[in-house]
Amino acid sequence: MEYILDVQNIHTFIGQYHILQGVNVRVPKGSITALLGRNGAGKTTTLKSILGLTPPREGKVIYEGKEVQGMHSFDIASKGIGFVPEHRAIFRDLTVEENLKIAERVKGDYLRKRDFIFDLFPDLKRLITLPGTSLSGGQQQMLAIARSFVADNHLLLIDEPSEGLAPVIIESMMSVIRELSKDSTIVLVEQNFLVASRLAEYYVIIEEGRSVQEGSMKDLANDKAAIHRYLGAA
Amino acid sequence: MNTFLRKNTVLLITLAVITALFIAAAQGMEKKDFVITLLRGLAVGSITFLVASGFSLIFGLLDVLNLAHGTLFMIGAYIGWTVFVRPDTFVDLLTPLALILSGFALADVYPFLATRIRLGLSMKRILPWALILVSVLIFSFILPRYPISIWDVENYGQSPVTYSFMADSGTRLPAPVAVFTEIAAPLALIGLVLASMIGAFGLSLFNSETQQQFKLTWKNFAAFAILLIVALLTFIFNESLTAVLTGLSSNWLFLIAVVVATLSGAGLGALIESTLIRPLYIRPIYQLMLTLGMSAIGIEIVRSVWGRPEFVMPKPAFFNGTGGVCPATNFADWWANNCSTILLLDGRVRVYNEIFIPIIGVIVLISIWMLLQRTRLGMVIRAGVQDREMVEALGINVRRVFTMVFGLGVGLAALGGILAAPSMGLSNAMGESLFLNALIALAIGGLTNYPGAALGSVLVGLIQQFIIKYGQIGIAIPFTDIIFKPTPPLVPASTVLLMVIILLILPNGLLGKKE
Ligand SMILES: Nc1ncnc2c1ncn2[C@@H]1O[C@H](COP(=O)(O)OP(=O)(O)OP(=O)(O)O)[C@@H](O)[C@H]1O
Ligand SMILES: [Mg+2]
Repeated sequence: MEYILDVQNIHTFIGQYHILQGVNVRVPKGSITALLGRNGAGKTTTLKSILGLTPPREGKVIYEGKEVQGMHSFDIASKGIGFVPEHRAIFRDLTVEENLKIAERVKGDYLRKRDFIFDLFPDLKRLITLPGTSLSGGQQQMLAIARSFVADNHLLLIDEPSEGLAPVIIESMMSVIRELSKDSTIVLVEQNFLVASRLAEYYVIIEEGRSVQEGSMKDLANDKAAIHRYLGAA
Repeated sequence: MNTFLRKNTVLLITLAVITALFIAAAQGMEKKDFVITLLRGLAVGSITFLVASGFSLIFGLLDVLNLAHGTLFMIGAYIGWTVFVRPDTFVDLLTPLALILSGFALADVYPFLATRIRLGLSMKRILPWALILVSVLIFSFILPRYPISIWDVENYGQSPVTYSFMADSGTRLPAPVAVFTEIAAPLALIGLVLASMIGAFGLSLFNSETQQQFKLTWKNFAAFAILLIVALLTFIFNESLTAVLTGLSSNWLFLIAVVVATLSGAGLGALIESTLIRPLYIRPIYQLMLTLGMSAIGIEIVRSVWGRPEFVMPKPAFFNGTGGVCPATNFADWWANNCSTILLLDGRVRVYNEIFIPIIGVIVLISIWMLLQRTRLGMVIRAGVQDREMVEALGINVRRVFTMVFGLGVGLAALGGILAAPSMGLSNAMGESLFLNALIALAIGGLTNYPGAALGSVLVGLIQQFIIKYGQIGIAIPFTDIIFKPTPPLVPASTVLLMVIILLILPNGLLGKKE
């Protein structure tokens, strides 16, 4: 299998806390891979370590065949990685349109993608001139996702997209992620196991800063013991 | 609109009270006094704004409290003065400056070099220091021997005070031409380039933990080449360039002085950020101490180069006309004679101090506003003020933006300095009081809010000037016969009082956002 991203045994410290103590994540090209685990397991930190926002002290992050650990975050992201952070991080002082434009990596990215964005998120079209903060939580999530693919990214790191959304909205968000996965590889952090199991083909479970199990999502759905042990779900 | 009213009730009430106070203040004095005081307040506010806005841009985006900002304001004034009063010194300085900077223009090349060098761990620690030491040694050998025609602070007849005084009265004190005697010219020129490259390489080794694949192109060498060419041209054409500058009208020379001071400030700021501040982003306390130290060093440098005594800076001819119909009563008269003062409601208004400076203040206010709102750089700055990490995660080189913003902020302070010089004069202390004003203005307006910086600065300027005016004419306390005359120490106290009151009502300042 061809891996677009290969995280090898990374150790990350935040301050003096040894948060990640050996995480391995392999992401097959074109797939949706879910990072699963309880609250505080280290899923967000794993995404941030990939991007160099919390640089790993040990281990390797190999993206499209090149080692990127230790590079500046903006250099890593420029290689074609989009990021939807946990709490959306919409820029308050920017309008919705500016929130999209700022993600351009090549001039004109936004104009090229605009119709596609409005097809996926018809709501954003009429909100385009409003300041980022005036959006509802769901709309902010849409905007954050849209922002992650304004530039031509090959890999999207999406952190808890369903958090705080109503069930109907979650459904439409899932179809958006499916649509995006046609062109990009997606790493998805998702607490809602149902959502994760319907979207992802592969999974990695993280437990107390270590990756403890990986495989194909179909197998996990039948592995009631693992689900119970690591995810606390029935 | 309704929600705007509801959300900002406190702000609107505060602004209404302040406006009411100013209207009340107008009742106690003659109309002409009121207008002049208002204009003076706006002028002080404009200069304060130039310092405050730069400081707040830097703080907002970089989280750096640049305590050297007032000193950089002062340095801007002294640099501008040098260009204006001693163009020959300025031209002499161009060559060595371009050479000293040339090494830093190769910043992109050093990491490439560094990856080629394989060294033991201890050598890796020592190497940067060794390089910097070598560079400092070469510099300290060449620079004192490099001939620059300059004033003499020890000798009153040749001091900045005298040069300034003569220039103000319209004559130019002849200055000796500097020639290479203590060191051969080629040796000096080549030595400076080498020392600069060695020093810049050494500094770059401090923050090069990251491994990265590089491709060098001619672009990485372009700035270096341009600086070398500039150095060579200014070296060869030194005398003719000096002759051109001294022959210029004082208006053009002033314009050049303003541009040079602003650009030097911006360049100095960019250099400070990329060499001294950058390694300390993870240690904010050290950063604070660093900027405090830079401030003290800056003042000492100014003292040793330009001396301690205060001196005036002549105004450009455009604002310095006298005689004839001056003070002018209408625009046509003023335009024809370039009167230094005009009559407004029977009061004498100094054109440079009270009209030109506020106009520039407004122009800068609008330009920076446009930069922030209409350009991609501005968009990145606004976003970065809120969430640097996310901006970086979008693939934007935040470091470069940091350097640019630091340069922009210091450039604005330097612009403030050179603009203030003809009205305030030059002194070693001019930065301190203005910096304090700027801090108070920011506390009042909202620490990282751009319109807030403008509002706070204008309020500080107005309050101070009105208190000064009332110190002269006295306030009649209602229902009594007492006439209260605020004493000079009340001037700074009044702005502090305003700040305290506003912070009690609105803890984030007038326009600051709640976190
Ligand atoms: N800035 C920080 N300082 C100290 N500890 C931190 C910091 N950020 C995260 N941690 C700790 O690191 C661990 C992993 O955090 P992380 O955010 O990666 O978890 P997560 O798996 O994303 O959890 P959740 O599902 O709740 O989002 C947690 O125990 C957390 O307390
Ligand atoms: Mg998380």
